[in-house]
Amino acid sequence: MELFRLEHKKLWRKNSTRICVLLCVFYCVVFGSFMIYQWITYGSTDNFSSHNFDGYENIRNCQAYSQKYGVLTDESLQEWVTDFKSLYAQLRDERKTQGAENPETVYRVNNSDMYTINGWLKTLYPELERADMLGVTVMSDYVETEKLTGIYERREKAIDTFLEISGQTGAERDYLLRINERVKGPFSWKWTDGWSNVLGNAVSGLGTILALFLAVVLSALFAGEWHDNTSALLLTTRNGWKKLATAKILTGFAFTLELFSMVAAGMIILQLVYLGTEGWDMPIQMVKMIAIAPMNMLQAEIYEYAFTLLGALGFAGVVMLFSALSKNHVLALLLSMAVAYGPMAVKNNVPVVLQQAFDLLPLVGSGADVFRTNTFHLFGHYIWSPYLIIWVPLLIGVLCLKPAVKGWARRMKG
Amino acid sequence: MELSIDRLTKQYGRKIAVDCVSTVLKPGVYGLLGENGAGKTTLMRMLCAILEATAGEVFLDGKEICALGAEYRDLLGYLPQDFGYYPNYTAKEFLLYMAALKGIPREEAEKRTDELLEVVSLKEAASKKVKTFSGGMKQRVGIAQALLNQPKILILDEPTAGLDPKERVRFRNLISDYAAGRIVILSTHIVSDIEAIADKVLLMRGGKLVSQGTVPELTKEAEGKVWELSVSKMEAKAWQEKAAVANLRHEGEQVVLRILADNKPAEEAMPCETTLEDLYLYSMRGNK
Repeated sequence: MELFRLEHKKLWRKNSTRICVLLCVFYCVVFGSFMIYQWITYGSTDNFSSHNFDGYENIRNCQAYSQKYGVLTDESLQEWVTDFKSLYAQLRDERKTQGAENPETVYRVNNSDMYTINGWLKTLYPELERADMLGVTVMSDYVETEKLTGIYERREKAIDTFLEISGQTGAERDYLLRINERVKGPFSWKWTDGWSNVLGNAVSGLGTILALFLAVVLSALFAGEWHDNTSALLLTTRNGWKKLATAKILTGFAFTLELFSMVAAGMIILQLVYLGTEGWDMPIQMVKMIAIAPMNMLQAEIYEYAFTLLGALGFAGVVMLFSALSKNHVLALLLSMAVAYGPMAVKNNVPVVLQQAFDLLPLVGSGADVFRTNTFHLFGHYIWSPYLIIWVPLLIGVLCLKPAVKGWARRMKG
Repeated sequence: MELSIDRLTKQYGRKIAVDCVSTVLKPGVYGLLGENGAGKTTLMRMLCAILEATAGEVFLDGKEICALGAEYRDLLGYLPQDFGYYPNYTAKEFLLYMAALKGIPREEAEKRTDELLEVVSLKEAASKKVKTFSGGMKQRVGIAQALLNQPKILILDEPTAGLDPKERVRFRNLISDYAAGRIVILSTHIVSDIEAIADKVLLMRGGKLVSQGTVPELTKEAEGKVWELSVSKMEAKAWQEKAAVANLRHEGEQVVLRILADNKPAEEAMPCETTLEDLYLYSMRGNK
């Protein structure tokens, strides 16, 4: 335990560790959360392009606008579309009569959650979408309100169609539909755009950033001993390389946990400050209608954070393996980055089987799979991908540990 | 306690770094003397069990040291020649880290670290980062870490490198005090250090142990082979070409040469008292 404490202290003493942590926290919390909430994404816009530095207040207004709809039913959806149409008509009228939109009207249109709800309409009522209006206006501006009926039946049909188009038929389809059966309506309806960003971008994208900083810090964990020329000292001590290797592995995992916790805590605090807890109990279907997971927003967020943490721990195991096998920490860094960013870069251009295999690699897959209908076919059974991609990366990391210790011992003994 | 080295050999490809070295080490200070590449460091690394021998074995009280494993390492203190450290650790933190590696409980480690920092005159610098230390200060940190576990077998590779004369004297006294009941093996190029503290000298050349014994025993080997000859400056150059000149000093117009030779090199040459350095240089003559 003492050795672990000191090894951990040694890691944190390094300037490179401190700089990496600072940059990672700054990027994820300050740039990726604070700036997004306060300015880049949620700052109000009164001209459809630039944003003001008033995200906090603007989010409150957005939340207030959506609150009145309460529950998603045919009636509430029609009510929203009617409201939107009148708002949009006002905007068009202003453009025509005054030559420009009234900033106040633009502001209200933008606060109406229109991007998410247009997504619903396109998914659930594809036949009502007009090709001639593409690029001219949004669907909720021209859609015939009275035709927006049977929303939950429409959702079931949309899932069916999607599975068919995706080639997911037979037993796979039945399996996915069984999962979907646990999704119960009617859905609670609050402002969704905030949750959409949290679950679709912020948390699910966290792994990509963590991979970089974990690789930089942990690639020197074992390989750094060669740089410091300490192998002769280590090998002649009672605890030798064996207990030190264990202390290093624990340090690697502890650091991963700490870095993750710092970033996650910062992001969650800012999320609570800006979005509050409103809408936590909305089903994730409010972000993506054809999602089949019986989860609410909070559960999905917990899943995504857990996915990132377990992926990060798995990735830490992989980095430590490279660090232990290489005498050069730069080489260990390059190999670690190649393992994460290589598959990420080519993922979309390889056959589906390979894509699925890549998804199992630490930090390569995405926690946002809870919104998808991906499955793995193993030993005659279908497994919904989020069940598998959350554990396999950790398993890969754990499996790396034994060869890491063995490899390091072999190298140390020269 | 007895450390037996039995036909220990290390070969790298065609090069034999240590060639069938055998000896028995009992408690005392052993000075390992030899020129660069003589195999001192390789021999020490094999004694520390961090380098596998090509042939031969090392036994501690009849048990093979590799088989003893942690039990042997627990008795061992080692200062490598190229002493590595963690630049961002302070001297105290580094010693505490090494103490943890040596399995010393935290409280004892704190106490021992403070004592050793005092012993190596680094108490004032205890909270400074090792990377800010001079070469001599780093060397003293290295010596302190080797002594942390109060080893029964202490192996020091060039321990006095980088130490100023005052520190060297301090170090010699420290080792002399420490050596009682322990085996201390140290290598150095500074013959006077070995002369001052070694109970026994092991002389290595080309990987072989060419001579071993106490300082008087070894200097006796060179007895009658050291000569002093007073010559002119012109003649001095010629003598340096044709004979092994251990030393030369100017005395007015004359130069007094200290020559190592089996036979009297000149009629005027006078035999003189031999030192360990004479023996060392005498035995290295072939490599001149």
